[in-house]
Amino acid sequence: MSAPMGGTPIDQASLRTNDETRWSASLFGRRDGANNRKTVTFGDSSAVRSLPVWSLLAFVSIFGFWFLATYAWGLPGDLQLSESQQEAGLTYESLSDKQRIAVCNGREDCKGSFSQLLQPLQFPSVRDTWNTFFELKDEGFRNVTLWENTSASLGRVIRGMLGGSLLGIPIGFAMGLSSRARGFFDTPVELLRPIPPLALIPLFILIFGIGDSSAVPLLIFASLWIMIIAARSGVQAANLSKVRAAYSLGASKRQVLLHVLLPNALPELFTGFRVALGVTWGTLVAAEIVGAPDGLGAMVFAARPLFRLDVMVVGIVVIAVLGVMMDIVLRWLESKLIPWRGKG
Amino acid sequence: MVYDVPNGESVHALSDVSFDLEAGRLLTLLGPSGCGKTTLLNILAGFLAPTGGSVSLGGAPITGPGQERGMVFQQGALFEWLTVEQNIGFGPRMNHANKSETKARAAELLEIVGLGGFGDKRIYELSGGMQQRVALARCLANDPDVILMDEPLGALDALTREKMQGLILELWKETGKTIILVTHSVEEALYLGDRVFVMAPRPGRIHSDYQLPFAEQGLTTDARELKAAPEFTQKREEILSIIWEMEEEIMGRQEAS
Repeated sequence: MSAPMGGTPIDQASLRTNDETRWSASLFGRRDGANNRKTVTFGDSSAVRSLPVWSLLAFVSIFGFWFLATYAWGLPGDLQLSESQQEAGLTYESLSDKQRIAVCNGREDCKGSFSQLLQPLQFPSVRDTWNTFFELKDEGFRNVTLWENTSASLGRVIRGMLGGSLLGIPIGFAMGLSSRARGFFDTPVELLRPIPPLALIPLFILIFGIGDSSAVPLLIFASLWIMIIAARSGVQAANLSKVRAAYSLGASKRQVLLHVLLPNALPELFTGFRVALGVTWGTLVAAEIVGAPDGLGAMVFAARPLFRLDVMVVGIVVIAVLGVMMDIVLRWLESKLIPWRGKG
Repeated sequence: MVYDVPNGESVHALSDVSFDLEAGRLLTLLGPSGCGKTTLLNILAGFLAPTGGSVSLGGAPITGPGQERGMVFQQGALFEWLTVEQNIGFGPRMNHANKSETKARAAELLEIVGLGGFGDKRIYELSGGMQQRVALARCLANDPDVILMDEPLGALDALTREKMQGLILELWKETGKTIILVTHSVEEALYLGDRVFVMAPRPGRIHSDYQLPFAEQGLTTDARELKAAPEFTQKREEILSIIWEMEEEIMGRQEAS
């Protein structure tokens, strides 16, 4: 702060300096805005926010470490390939890092000349993973392209979530509205809810078979209980005054359900949906590992016996990115659909 | 009318509460907590059925909630997922009223309660006093014969509360509606009620029934002046001492048992 002393007017220069400080403060976290007058910031959670520069630093660190740990230092720029390899149409240029290292390993002319923290069989290099991504996208793995695997997985999740919601929300509402329904559904819900969906995979495969026919029911099972409980607590969260006000304004039972209880339960339904989506996504990958011919989980698992760590890493990254994207979409929807949440 | 409402097993929330109220009156219910003011209001609204006795409006018995009895709650009864205008239009919409008429009526009511131009706002964007104005407008949109108010100004700060009292008096005079208002503020009960029931607890009953001129005067006289007038302060002290006696009696009874 360049506060003028003894009534000296603030000149242009000092004002400009302040503007600049404010701009960089937002990126680097120097004190600014409301914070610049606070003397206590350690322990004041309102003074703590996520600084973009540090987020970028973390991102760069992760990829930097991956790159440094898997880069083969001192690997020759070019190597003569054996005749049989040349006949097979291979050039050193076209080889992946993993193959180059394999070629190099047996040869006198480059032995001992390179070093690497993580071997190709421990973790794939950045370049190999990058190239594998495009290979999977264009040619596919075991004749299934990345997009086909992704859409198979997403399709299962969507159907599982739809099934779980369409079954769970009415049951949850019934449990919140009627003593008979509460009594009837309480027992099965409390008995079945604690079962981890993964424990049911073998049973579901035997009953429904391999692929979608067992994966989708499993995902419905995974999301159903969460949606039931979310819907039930959503109904129970309704303020009695709101319901009474609606009846006093001439609403019928049906109208109270559609125009009061349902919109009022939206925040709880949304929370349930987000939790269920997370659980469903995790269950899906496990279900595909053992019981599906396609899907991202199947791809990751099928790469193991072939030692295709690059395929695994691409699969894992795609699974992670999709998970993040789904959460972003849901958060955006939440801000549009229930703007009143947490206010008032 | 006789109500006898056991709450749980044998607690008499109300006992032998009988009265008639002419149309167009503003009745305030006043009393210490636990005297059954809100229970009485809920019975009138039709949310509770009396265990004994009967309630009727214009000769027709009250068996459940109905549009001819509008209700204004203390707070939290507005629909957050709707805009201010949609909240006000809720009643007509439930009755499948003409949409453009409902819209026009909502705009008109917003002007009446002093919220012109706020129709597109969300409920959480309004202050507590503004929210209660919306609640009043929503209630009026259905054109009820009787408006029941359960401590409608209880959650507001003192200044907002005085302004809202003025608004309630104006609405009462302009619309000619019958209003029954529950409050725990003696001043508010005296200022608003042209009839005041002071209620006594355990079991809840009407202790005294006042007919007062202040509500009528409040329409023409300044509120601060009226509340400072000797007749007003005298009545206030009189009722306060009744309530204090009740409180002390309750305390004594509790110590004895």
